[in-house]
Order: sequence, then C-alpha cells, then structure tokens
Amino acid sequence: MQNNPLGMLLGAAVMLMPFAASAVVDLPKTVEVDRGKVEAACNENNPDWRKAQTIEGVSIQESLRCSPDNPYTIAAEVKGTNNLSMEALMNTHFAMDGIIKKNDMDGDGDPDLIIIKLEVAELNGHSPDFAGVVPTFDIAPGIQPGMWVFAPKSRGMATSSFVGTDANPLLRAPSPVIRVEQGDIIWIQLENTHYFPHTIHLHGVDHPWVDSTGEGNDGVPQTSDKFVLPGQSKTYEIRPRTPGTFAYHCHVQTHVHLAMGLVGMFIVEENRPNNWVQTFNVGGGQVRHPSKAILEDYDSEYDLHYHAMDKELHSIIQDYNDPRLIARKMNREYDLTDSTEDYHTLNGRSFPYTLRESIIVAEPDKNIKLRVFNSSGETLAMHTHGHKATITHYDGIEHNPVAQITRDVYDIAPAQRNDLKINTTDDGFHSYGEGVWIFHDHREKGITTDGMNPGGNVSAVVYKKYLNEVGLPKTIGESIEPLFTEAFHARKVPVWQNIDDWNSLGEVDAEGYVAPPPSVIAAADVTQGFADIEPPVNNSFRNLVFGLFLGLLAYLLIINRAKIMALISAIKGGS
Amino acid sequence: MIKHLSIVAIALAFSAPVFAEKEFENHNNMMDHGDGHLMDMTGGMVMGQNKDILPGGCDRIAATKEITVHAGHKYAEKFPGRMFAFDVQEYQFEPCTKLTVNFVNDDDVRHQWMMHGLPKYLYPKGMFHLEVTGPGKISGTLIFPPGDKTYLVHCDIAQHMEKGMKGQLKIGKGDGDLPSIPGVTAYVIQDDYSDSIPDESITDTVVEEISKMKKKVTGNDSFFSGLTVIGLAIGLIIAPLLARKFKDMTAGEVITYILDLVKQAMNIVVKLVSWLISLVKK
Repeated sequence: MQNNPLGMLLGAAVMLMPFAASAVVDLPKTVEVDRGKVEAACNENNPDWRKAQTIEGVSIQESLRCSPDNPYTIAAEVKGTNNLSMEALMNTHFAMDGIIKKNDMDGDGDPDLIIIKLEVAELNGHSPDFAGVVPTFDIAPGIQPGMWVFAPKSRGMATSSFVGTDANPLLRAPSPVIRVEQGDIIWIQLENTHYFPHTIHLHGVDHPWVDSTGEGNDGVPQTSDKFVLPGQSKTYEIRPRTPGTFAYHCHVQTHVHLAMGLVGMFIVEENRPNNWVQTFNVGGGQVRHPSKAILEDYDSEYDLHYHAMDKELHSIIQDYNDPRLIARKMNREYDLTDSTEDYHTLNGRSFPYTLRESIIVAEPDKNIKLRVFNSSGETLAMHTHGHKATITHYDGIEHNPVAQITRDVYDIAPAQRNDLKINTTDDGFHSYGEGVWIFHDHREKGITTDGMNPGGNVSAVVYKKYLNEVGLPKTIGESIEPLFTEAFHARKVPVWQNIDDWNSLGEVDAEGYVAPPPSVIAAADVTQGFADIEPPVNNSFRNLVFGLFLGLLAYLLIINRAKIMALISAIKGGS
Repeated sequence: MIKHLSIVAIALAFSAPVFAEKEFENHNNMMDHGDGHLMDMTGGMVMGQNKDILPGGCDRIAATKEITVHAGHKYAEKFPGRMFAFDVQEYQFEPCTKLTVNFVNDDDVRHQWMMHGLPKYLYPKGMFHLEVTGPGKISGTLIFPPGDKTYLVHCDIAQHMEKGMKGQLKIGKGDGDLPSIPGVTAYVIQDDYSDSIPDESITDTVVEEISKMKKKVTGNDSFFSGLTVIGLAIGLIIAPLLARKFKDMTAGEVITYILDLVKQAMNIVVKLVSWLISLVKK
C-alpha cells in the first residue's frame, strides 16, 4: 500500500497545514531613530539682559528666564522712542516714530498723549524665489505656521540679520500686548504694510464710536469703518475711562484674520501720578516695568495670551503668492466651520519653547498677577499645578471681592480675559510649596502640537530655587532634550526612544520582515481597513460546507425518523 | 469736570495735524550718525551713504547720475497679482558711477529702497538703504564699484518684495537677470491657478463615496446564499452513497480511506507536475 511515499508526505502536509503556524518565530527588531540636530534648550542667552537694571531712568525688573526681553526695548516702550537717546534706541528695532509720548496735560509727571504706531507683518510667508518661508518664526522646533501679526513700527530689515531668515524680535507672535494709562489720550495709528485690508477693533476698551473728525472708530467695516487698504494708514482715537484687561483685533474677515494672529491684549492701567507704563510687552510674559497700581498689590505681573491655529488655514499664505488667490482660498474656499485647531500656543510659542520665554518665576510669600487672554476658537481650561489662584477680574472688571473664586481650573471662553492672583504662601491651599509646577490647558489637545505630546501651551511656575544659571527649570524628571529636535515634532522619533537600556519601546524595523502564518484561526478581517470599512469576506466555501452539513443532517433525520418519532412520543408520555 | 474738558480741548488742539490729510514730508534735515548713517525723528533713514570715497579699481567717477524712484501700492496696478511696486523695475549704469537716488514714497506706510552686495569695506554690511514713511521723500548717494554686476533692489518689509516691490540695477552689462521682477522675469516657484471652488463641499463628497464603497466591499455576510442551497442538494445526494460506503467500516478505516483519497489526489498533482517538467525539458 505504501508504494508512493511522496504522495503520502504531501498529503499529510496538506492536512497538517492549519497547525503549521505554531512554529516559533521572531518579531521585527528594534532600531534607534536618528533624531538629528538637537538645539540647546536655551539658545539665546543674554545674561546682561536678565538683571534688574535702570536705563535712562527706567527701572526694569529682573527677568530670570532663558530669553529675557531686551531692556533697551523696554526703556523705549516706557519712555517713548521720542524721549530715549539715539544711542539707546539703536539697540532696538523700533522706528524713530514708533511710540511718541508727550504732553503732561494734568501735570502729574507722566505723558498724557500717547501715539502708538502699528504695522501688519506676515510671518512664515511665501517666497516666489525659493522653497522656504520668510521671515521665519518657529513656534516649536521646525514648526512654522504662516501668521499675521500687528507689530510695533520697526525700522530696517524684517529679519534679524543678513545671514538668517529669522524675523527681527519685534516681528513675532502674538500681536504685542499694548498698555496704556487710564485717562490718557491714545492715538493708535494703524499703518497697513500688509497686502490685505485690515482694521483695529478695541474689544472692551472704552472708545467712542466715531472719532473727533466724525470718522468711524470701532473698526467694523459693516457699520462704522472703511477698510484700511494696503499702503494706507488710519488713526484710532481713545481716552479710556475704565481700567482693565481688554483686547484688540482686526475686524475684517474676522473669522480668519483673528485666527491668523491679528489679535492682542490691550491693558488699561489705573491712573496714578508719575505713572509711565510699558506701552508694549512684545511677546507677552513678564511685565518688567509694572504700573504703579500693580506694584501696590503685587510683586510681579505676567501677560499670558493663549491662541490656537488650524494648519490648513495657516498654510494658505505659504502655498500661494498671488494675493487674489490667497483671498479666494482663505475667504471663499476655506470653511472655518469644518476646521480643527492643530497648534496651541502661549505667548506665540508652544512647548518646549514656552520654557524659554513664558515661565513664571516665583518666590515664596509673594503675590503674582496673571492676565490671561484666550484668543483661540474654543474655551480654554487652564490648570495650575501646585497652586490655586483667585480670579479677581472677569473681562477686565473686578469681581466682588467677597464673591471671588479660588480654584485650579480656569475656564476662559474665546475672547475672554481672567485676571488671576497667585499667592505663593505655602499653606497647602494657595501654594503647595516650592517646585517646578507646570500650568497648561486641560483640554488635552491643548497640550499637543498637531497631536504630538508634549507640546502645545504648557509652561511652568518655577520657583527661583529651581532655576538654573541660564534660566531654565532644574527638572528632575525625564530629559527634555529630545523635545528640542525637529525630528520629534515631525513625528519621526518614538516618544519613548531609549526609555531603558535596550530601548524596549523603540522604533520597529519591519523592513524585509515577513510575518509567519498566524498561529490561531484568524478572523477573516484581521487586515485593518481604512476608517470603518472592513475588508470583503468570501463566504462561498463556508456556505457550501454549511449546506452540505444541512443535507447530511436531513438525510440522517429521514432514515432515523422512526427512532426520532419514538423519542418524541416518549418525552411527551413522560411529561 | 471743566478741568477735564479743557484738557481734552488742549489735547485735541495739539492733535489736529494728525487727523488732517497727511502732508508730504521732505526728509532733508537728518542727523548724521557717521558711517553714512543718517536718521530723523519721523522715520526717515539713509544707510551706506558714500558721496566721495572711490571704490577700489575706480580711478575716477565715471559719471554722476540722479534718479527719482517712486514706491507705492498704485505702481502695482499694471502687474496683476502684485500689491506693491516701484515705478521702474530696471536700471543700468556704468561702473564707477556716482548715483543719487531720490526715493519718493507715495503710500502712508513705510517703504524701502535697499540694495545688497556692495563692497563691505565701503558700505556697512554691503548695503545701501533708503527708508521713509510716506507720503515723503528721502535722498541718498553712493558710488558703484567697477565690474559687471546685477544688484537686487527691494523693500525688505515683510512680503513687500514677494508681492512686487523688487527691481534690479545693472552695472556695466550686469551678470544676468534676477527672478520675480514684475514685468521682467518669472517666478521661480509658480502659483497653481488650476483649482476652482468645488460645487459641493469636499466633506460631503467624501462621506458619500465612503458609504458607496462600504456597500460594494462588505457584500453579503449571511449563512444562506445560493451556495448553501447547492451544498444542501449535494449533501442529500451523496449522503446515501456515503452511508453505503462506510456502512461496515470502523472510524479508523474511514480515516485511512480519506487519507488514501487525498494521497491519490496528490499523486495526480505530482504526476501532472512531472509531466509539465518533462514537457519543459524537451
């Protein structure tokens, strides 16, 4: 009978096929991904800029962060470009006529006519000459969304130097915080250097609907204002009677122009004698020359401007050069109601860059004032680790002190402002003691950069004890070094690469890997399909066998019908 | 109250000029900061001015010329898809020419006439730069070095060059043309004008497509189909035959019999393969 061993062998193999997959095989190997260039966590350290100092009579508070504001810029913002020496002004990028302060009309020692000039700058915009963007402003390593900002009137080049393409320090997100004194006469002169029409609406700031010449002063093209066209300028005239934290933004095609970045904080400080306020706080963060009224109650003050961006909107100005095409794409083809916000920024940057600029430096037993503004399209759920802050003002107006709320999540709707008071007394309530305490949006997408975490609007309250010599927090957790790479934000590096000695959660190298047949009876649809589409299943053979089984069953029933009938009647009789 | 009102009145009196139509300003009274750097308090600025030092290689000033350049939004009218421009895009001068540029800004914002690539020992950062907030005029003078070279002139305010405020200045024969000069040379990177607004939103179309695809690929998942009926028929037909075949066999014999059937089938396959091989060998 065994006269054909080959046939027998093959026959056995065919019949054993389903069990063959139990053979032991390896999974693809782990590889380490090259993360490329790692930036220094603190790149631009101007140690002299961090000290407390006085420039031409302007006292400037210490700022221990890695990237402090240029003190000469602050001196110009406090004195005005017209009252600062040429020598000092040359250390800034301000135009000579950028901020004019004059006319102490009430004789209280500070100027009462303030002329503020704003230009409109495009960041990370298109060039028809090369495949890059100009001038560049990275919100995180390698992340360069196209943006528009109001910018203080500057002089010279848009870039910092001849060699690079990075924007000069006055051209940055967010649009600068503007600070004025209650009761001053303020002229805000918009010089539209951009290629689209814009206006300025002073949100919440006391302003007459028309100015002294009867022209519109509300910035709304549908009701009061003409467009300020490219190359034109327009002066808004206000004399705000109510102090508080307010805002300003462009009111032309507001749904996209605001998202593009034409929105900033506008703060009216209480009137005090000899009160020279810091007209701009470029880039937000610490106010190094706080007003008289703030210093009565607080030791330091910070402006926190939260924003969010949809990358589809922000890439339009990078994909096209023709303004007519950009207008069509942005105004008619882009649909904001279908949008999702991808980039979440605090003071124009995302984590880890926020650590360079937007940390809050704390010491025990102090009071810190935070002015928090949300210009994103959704409600912000800001959360402070280690501290419960008291909300003293809503939308600039003081809340009844008896009814003020102390909490750890502050929900701020789009365009709203909360003034928070952080008391650093270690009482287990206001503060849990010294440390590096992060604060961030608690909608979890807010702590991502286009879905990559850590990123987004995370920053930290850092006690001095925990600050290192370059102004970065002395962290004792995992290294933040991998976050300072473009590769991380381009999703190329596993977030847990080299988590242990043998990189157990590293990248899978599946190149050339052929999976063995699965060792279990696999469901037909193991292949992952797109969306919720499952791969087609061929049921022909299964149905044939099922039919065959039914046929055999029927035959058995028929030939054994007598027995079955007997069984049924037995069961009946039994009951 | 009266005090306040009077303050407002005084302030408005002071402010009156600002609200009037802006007057044309001639920036001819600037402070000299050395190194050819001149500025005034209303934003006029000249950098890299050189009225008298001969560049190396020039034994004399070959010619003394003066041009007036206008800048503004309105000069972009003749170039569709541009927003800012100079009135003239191309200039040509002899090497070692002394040139005075009267730069007139017809807009209400800043514009610049900036030239790069000059010898750095004469021009700080290799740059000659005029900047003025319009409406106004500012003038500056420089002396060109010898040699054929094409210089870029542009406004460096963000997006002004990209949106049209760009020209070229050739010394001698120049050394080629620069890209993206309105009316002269094309963009290096062209815009794609082919897209148009779709009739229906992309999202709706995608949803419709996906549901169609789903229908197509998912198919019939039921146990009952035409093949079930065929299986039933075959079952009914072969059942009596199988019953007869296996009537007196034990379970072991049945298995052996099935194995033998499979073996015979494999033998047929093997024979077929050998026959095919022999065919190929021939």
